Amino acid sequence: MCFPGATGCPVPGAPCTSPLCAPRIGAARVRVGKGEKPVTYDEPHHIAHRKSCLSLRTGNLDGQDHAAERMVEDVFLRKFMLGTFPGCLADHLVLKRRANQVEICALVLRQLPAHKFYFLVGYSETLLSHFCKCPMRVHLQTVPSKVVYKHI
Amino acid sequence: MAAAFFPAWLSLQPGARTLRAFSTAVPPTSLARTPSPRTTGRMSKSERPPRRKALPPRTEKMAVDQDWPSVYPVAAPFKPSVVPLPVRMGYPVKMGVPMAKEGNLELLKIPNFLHLTPVAIKKHCEALKDFCTEWPAALDSDEKCEKHFPVEIDTADYVSSGPSVRNPRARAVTLRVKLSSLNLDDHAKKKLIKLVGERYCKTTDVLTIKTDRCPLKRQNYDYAMYLLTVLYHESWATRPKGAPQSRVGLFYQSCRSPHSTKSMWLSSSPGCRDLHSGKAAWFFPFTWERGGPHPAKTTWLPLSPHQEGVLTLLKPRGSPSMAAVCDF
Repeated sequence: MCFPGATGCPVPGAPCTSPLCAPRIGAARVRVGKGEKPVTYDEPHHIAHRKSCLSLRTGNLDGQDHAAERMVEDVFLRKFMLGTFPGCLADHLVLKRRANQVEICALVLRQLPAHKFYFLVGYSETLLSHFCKCPMRVHLQTVPSKVVYKHI
Repeated sequence: MAAAFFPAWLSLQPGARTLRAFSTAVPPTSLARTPSPRTTGRMSKSERPPRRKALPPRTEKMAVDQDWPSVYPVAAPFKPSVVPLPVRMGYPVKMGVPMAKEGNLELLKIPNFLHLTPVAIKKHCEALKDFCTEWPAALDSDEKCEKHFPVEIDTADYVSSGPSVRNPRARAVTLRVKLSSLNLDDHAKKKLIKLVGERYCKTTDVLTIKTDRCPLKRQNYDYAMYLLTVLYHESWATRPKGAPQSRVGLFYQSCRSPHSTKSMWLSSSPGCRDLHSGKAAWFFPFTWERGGPHPAKTTWLPLSPHQEGVLTLLKPRGSPSMAAVCDF
């Protein structure tokens, strides 16, 4: 196996560009552990191959406009929800856009009493609607614990 | 404090007074067990009654013959405690099954049509019937529709996610008409086919005019109808006997004053653009006649590359506010 620094490589210490060893892709992959690490279903690997996209919008389609603006809004929404529901989110958000309105579907753990959840939902909807100038709806689904897909 | 909240929260029946209730996923096995401590790990305080206990899902109280359109009146995300179906979705692990509906993101991601059952669609149609008019009884076959309405107009509207309704592709207008439904004799039909070129399909006898030059759909529609009118009239026009036959000639006319009558007539027509002053002026073919082009007998067509090349070669003097290329 050819790796940087090995004897026999043409330039010791240089990155290996031999076709025998393909570069390791590290993005969006959960590192495999000893078998005790639980992962939820929506680790970003295999999106569009085995899993749908977490964010549904027409900008994802070929030749459609305003993809960049919607993407930036999605990033902002995810950060906002992560901060508004501290420690409560069980999995990634699912963002769905239908014409002008945005529906934020979140899986939450039952860390807070119900009246606090209701307040946070109303607070998020009002603030986000004013920020993004479009109707926002937040749909929560409570689960007792994180839904484990498998252990790796 | 927790005990004070507990009964108040329990008495909150789902869907009764609140506008929206959370969809609470409770696995069926947990109902048989006594309330267990929270997953936050307060095992040492198990004698305290749990603060947040989930109510049983609504699916257990649903009647078989309930009114489903009132459960899902509008498009809404999938709620596992409200949909009484044991659906599973997801890529299974090896030797496993797809994941259950509780806490399933895949079911949340996909658009569902639970609000569009046949019963719901029938109700929508009943409600919309008051706003509809009957189809005219005389138009009961395709041939009659084609006979009375030979011109077909195609337009497209685009909906996309986002606050803007504007889409520049929505301005395109396509006009289709069968030449057999136009009143053309042999000479007129041949001349029309020569004028339009590739826009005519011989197998289907359909002339297709696609316009998207103007910024608005209505303007493009007007321009398409104008083109059809002009093509029809021009195809009936014949050359007077004894006039010289010339394949392509170039007639250059320079307009000293941009406000002369000719220039004003041309710029008032739709789709005009004057080269010099920035107003619109099309390059148009006309028949050779003494005295210059006759406005009523002109046809508006853009210059072909060959004609543009001839124009640049001749390099006409003065301000070229219009140029005309004649054909036939």
